[in-house]
Amino acid sequence: MDPTLIALGALALSGALATVAGCAEDLESDVGSQSNPNSQVQLAPQMGNIHRYFNKAISGEPVSYGLYVAVAGTVAYAIMQMGLNPILALILGAGVAAFVHGAYAISAYLGRIVGQSKNFGQPVYWDIVMSHIGPIVGHGFIAVFCMVLMAYLANTILGNPFPLPLIALIFGITVGAIGSSTGDVHYGAEREYQKYPFGGGVPVANHGDIDVKAEYGLRNGMDSSYFCSRLGGVLTGLCFGLIVFLDGWRGILGNILQGGNVTTASVISIVIGLIIVAILAVVNRKVEVFARNKYGPYTK
Amino acid sequence: MDAVSLAIPLIEMTIAGAIINASVHFIPVGGAPAAMATSTGVGTGTTQLAAGAGFTGLMGAAVMAATVGLSLTGIALILVSGAISSMIMLGVTMLIGQLIYVFGVGVVPAADKCEIDPITKDPQKPYVTPGTTGHGVPTVCFISGLIGAALGGIGGALAYIAMLKLGLSPALAGMLAVGFFFINAVLASYNIGGTIEGFHDPKFKKMPNGVIASTVASLLFGIIAVAMAL
Repeated sequence: MDPTLIALGALALSGALATVAGCAEDLESDVGSQSNPNSQVQLAPQMGNIHRYFNKAISGEPVSYGLYVAVAGTVAYAIMQMGLNPILALILGAGVAAFVHGAYAISAYLGRIVGQSKNFGQPVYWDIVMSHIGPIVGHGFIAVFCMVLMAYLANTILGNPFPLPLIALIFGITVGAIGSSTGDVHYGAEREYQKYPFGGGVPVANHGDIDVKAEYGLRNGMDSSYFCSRLGGVLTGLCFGLIVFLDGWRGILGNILQGGNVTTASVISIVIGLIIVAILAVVNRKVEVFARNKYGPYTK
Repeated sequence: MDAVSLAIPLIEMTIAGAIINASVHFIPVGGAPAAMATSTGVGTGTTQLAAGAGFTGLMGAAVMAATVGLSLTGIALILVSGAISSMIMLGVTMLIGQLIYVFGVGVVPAADKCEIDPITKDPQKPYVTPGTTGHGVPTVCFISGLIGAALGGIGGALAYIAMLKLGLSPALAGMLAVGFFFINAVLASYNIGGTIEGFHDPKFKKMPNGVIASTVASLLFGIIAVAMAL
C-alpha cells in the first residue's frame, strides 16, 4: 500500500486516540481532584467546608501522567522485546501503569486527608476511596493505553526516531500540561464555585469556599466528572487531538504536495504550520472581542 | 573527535540553554490562580507548560532531523520545525483554554499588568474583576506565548542537534534533550517565582538573571555531555 496513505491512516488514528486520551485524562483528574483545583479542595476544611471530594495531587498532572505513560511504555517495550504481540504488550503495559496509578491515588488521598483531620476535622471517608478508585484507575487506563498506542504508531509508522518509552513520557507530560491548562479551569472556576455568580471570576477572598452540596446530597468527585464531561473533558480531548493531528498533518501534506524533494516538503510543512498558528491567533482575538462585547466592562 | 567538533556542540548547548530560559519568560502562566480565573494566563505551572510545548517542538525537530540530516539547510529546517511544532501546541492550548474561560466560566480576557493592550490598544483595567489579577488569555499574552513557544522549540531543537553532532544516537540525544530542557525551564521558573503574563509583565525584566543562570548551567551540562561523548 502507498506509504503516504498508511501515514495518513496512522495520523488519523493518532488524532482520534489523542482526543480520547485527553478527555479521559481530564475526567480522571476531575474525579480525583488532581492538579490546580486540588489546592481549593485542600484549602476547604480550613475555611470550614468539610467535604466528600477525593483529593489527590501527585506532583501535578504533567509529572504524574509522564510517570504512568512512561511505565506503560517501558513495560510494553520490554514485553515486545520478548517477542510478544505488540498490541498485547501495550495492553499489559497500560495495565501495570493502572496498578501504579491506583497505588499512588490511594496513598495520596490518605496522606492528604489524614494531614488535615487533626486540625480541621476533615474525616477520611472510606466509601469515597472505594467508590472513586475504580473510575480514577479506569479513566487513567483509557488515557494511558491511548497514549502508549500513539507512541507505538509514532515510533513504527510516523518516523519518530525516539524509543517507545521516551515518546510515551513526552506524550504523558504533554497531555498533563494540556489537561492542567484547559480542563482544570472548567472544574475549578466553574464547578467548584457554582454558588457565586457566573462571570465574576473567583476573587482571592473566596478561595477555599467551594461548593460541598450537590443537586442530590453531598457533592463528591463523581459529580464533578459528570459535570465536566459536558465541556471541560471534551475540549481537553479536542485540544490534544488537534495538536497531534495538525502537527503531523502539516508534515504529511508537505510530502504530498512536493515533487520528491525533502527540502521542499519541509518548507511547505513549515509554511502550513505558520498559517495554522496565524489562524489560531485570529480565532483567539475573535473570541476575546466576542467576550468584551457580550459581557462588557465590570460594573459593580 | 577533534577540538573544534567538540567545541561547537558545547557552544550550541550553552546558547540553547539561554534561549530556553528566555523562552519561558514569554509564556503567560497563571498557575492554580488562573485555573480559578483569578489571574491572567494559562492555568498551570510555568515549567510544565513550557515543557509540554518544548517537548512537542523536540518531537517535531526529531522527525525533521531524521528526514533532512544535519546539513546547514537541514539544521535551519530542524530549528524552524521545532519552533512551529511548539507554537502549534501552545497556540491550540491557549485557544481552547480561552474558549473555556469565555463560554464556560464567563469572564472577559483581561491583562492586569497593563492599562492598555500594547497590540490591540484595548483598555484592560475595566474588564478585570475586583479581587482578581485578571483572567483569560488576552491578545498580548497570546502573542507573547507564541514568541515564547517559538524560542522554546528552537532552544530544544538546538540542544538536540548539538547532541547528535557529538555522535550520540537519536534515542540518547532525545533523553538528554528532555533533561536539558527541564533544567533550564526549572531555572526560569525559579526566576519568575509564580505567575507571569508575558513580555509586558514587570517580572519580565528579571529575565537577564535567569538567562545568566541557564548559561552557566548549560555550559556545565555541555561539558558533561562532551565528556560522555569522549
